[in-house]
Amino acid sequence: MKELVKFSWQPELKSPSLVVGWSVDAGKLGEKVTGYLNQKLTHHSFAEIEPAEFFPLGGVAIENDLLQFPESRFYSRPGGDLIIFRSPPPGYEWYKFLDLILDTAQHYCHGKELYTIGSIISPGAHTTPRELIGVFNSPELKEAFSRYDLDRELNYETPPGHRPTLNSFLLWAARRRNIPGVSLWVPIPFYLVTVDDARAQRRVLEFFNQRFDLRIDLSDLDEEARLQNEKISRLRGSSPEIDRYITRLESNLRLSEEENEKLVLGIEECLQGNQQT
Amino acid sequence: MGIRLFEEPELRKPDMILGWPGIGNIGIIAADTLRGQVQAREFGEIESWDFFYPKGLKVKAGLLEELEFPGNKFYYQRLKGKDLIFFIGEEQPTAPGRTYAEGEKAYQMANLVLDVAGRFGCQRVYTSGAAVALTHHTLKPRVWTVASREGLIEEMKGYSNTVLMSEIEGRGNQGSISGLNGLLPGLAKKRGFDAICLMGEIPDYLSQSPLPYPRAAKAVVEVLAGILGIGVDFTPFDTMAAQIDTVIDSLYEKFPPEIKERIEQRKSAIQAKVETITEEDETWIKEHIDEFFKKKSGNE
Repeated sequence: MKELVKFSWQPELKSPSLVVGWSVDAGKLGEKVTGYLNQKLTHHSFAEIEPAEFFPLGGVAIENDLLQFPESRFYSRPGGDLIIFRSPPPGYEWYKFLDLILDTAQHYCHGKELYTIGSIISPGAHTTPRELIGVFNSPELKEAFSRYDLDRELNYETPPGHRPTLNSFLLWAARRRNIPGVSLWVPIPFYLVTVDDARAQRRVLEFFNQRFDLRIDLSDLDEEARLQNEKISRLRGSSPEIDRYITRLESNLRLSEEENEKLVLGIEECLQGNQQT
Repeated sequence: MGIRLFEEPELRKPDMILGWPGIGNIGIIAADTLRGQVQAREFGEIESWDFFYPKGLKVKAGLLEELEFPGNKFYYQRLKGKDLIFFIGEEQPTAPGRTYAEGEKAYQMANLVLDVAGRFGCQRVYTSGAAVALTHHTLKPRVWTVASREGLIEEMKGYSNTVLMSEIEGRGNQGSISGLNGLLPGLAKKRGFDAICLMGEIPDYLSQSPLPYPRAAKAVVEVLAGILGIGVDFTPFDTMAAQIDTVIDSLYEKFPPEIKERIEQRKSAIQAKVETITEEDETWIKEHIDEFFKKKSGNE
């Protein structure tokens, strides 16, 4: 275990919760939220999982002219309440990888609860409020969350031909170790999947603010969301076709595949240059 | 990672029959249908999470109720002449970037299965799979056989509709069996079990298609039923084969005429028992069929 997890320093944490975000996620929600938390809470990486057993290292991926190398890192700060784990999803040895995350949080940092962040692609319009859905691995934690504004009553079965998410696998692995945990899900409008959805990020962060009394000022995300909405409104004003599509989505009507594609392209073009990394 | 047994049945020198998915799913269809026929009872499993990614999730009222993994289950049945243990694996644990099981995970899985075989006093294990052959889909598939020791070869020669792998034209006494259907009998040999692998023939031009091939599974079960002296109702195989034949026929109709012509010539040669299928024919059909399936999947 020690050889697979490399520590750069040993954080002294009392009883932190573990927050996990994967880099492959609609709207990059997990990556964005965990990155935001790290920045606002001045977290630093204290450990990383060695990649060789878990990722194909036959070469290197390139994204937007940048070399990508799988980094699976734990972040925190001395005396902090949170451990953040960020990583691309492993390509194989999934259970061993998830076990390493939980081992590190439980034995080395005395982690008490698990939170995973994920997005669901929604057929709805961007003007609808972002919902927060919780899937729990313990009835007690579900009960304890009754005071928060989140949907706690989801019913779901994996459709044929699909596989569960890594978050669900992690939540299940945590239950085997008696670590209570919740998978947090936010539906993201399908045409915002390849761009940022600041409102979805805000929805999750608002919950963390309440849950951990973080007192993070989220006004920068409000501003980001406002600017995005303005841009989309201007696009709607200049393109009757895009406006018609969004109006139909706002009336809970579905679009054809071709219309979906046109809307996605239109929004992507419109929001280009409005991205923050 | 380990074995979970729900029951410790008392068995008298049972044989073990194993099935995993593979080409045409011949091995798993054979083993699993036979398991159903003899009404074998589940008594254990290999914990799957260390080998596989989960295949299903059930959430009820916000609570994670169940995460389902590909099954790796043991079953047993006491029959008049012979007690049997079945092992049915829904997926093969593949090494990174590989199609078939190989490497550490496959070796661990095979050892766990054989641990159970040893624990219940098994002396012989049977695996089955596909033999990619220069045959025709309307002809009855033969079953190729290999064994873990010389002494079993004479016995295998007595099985009906079988052929020793060494007798297959052009193989020069050489061959290999991919995945766990091959690795397991190999490891069984190392650990001192008798092992026999029965491979049902599938035409080379269907071996890359995702279709199951129940005709070959039936041929394998016919051989197994003969060895074990048990009665089997073959209706499920025939029903499944009739359904698949319709799909194969419509696929075959779409083959380019020059490929069909060569395949039909092959059929006549096999029926006339004339040795006219050359290595050149095999290569030609393989290249053209690969091209056909590539074009087809590109169009879909």
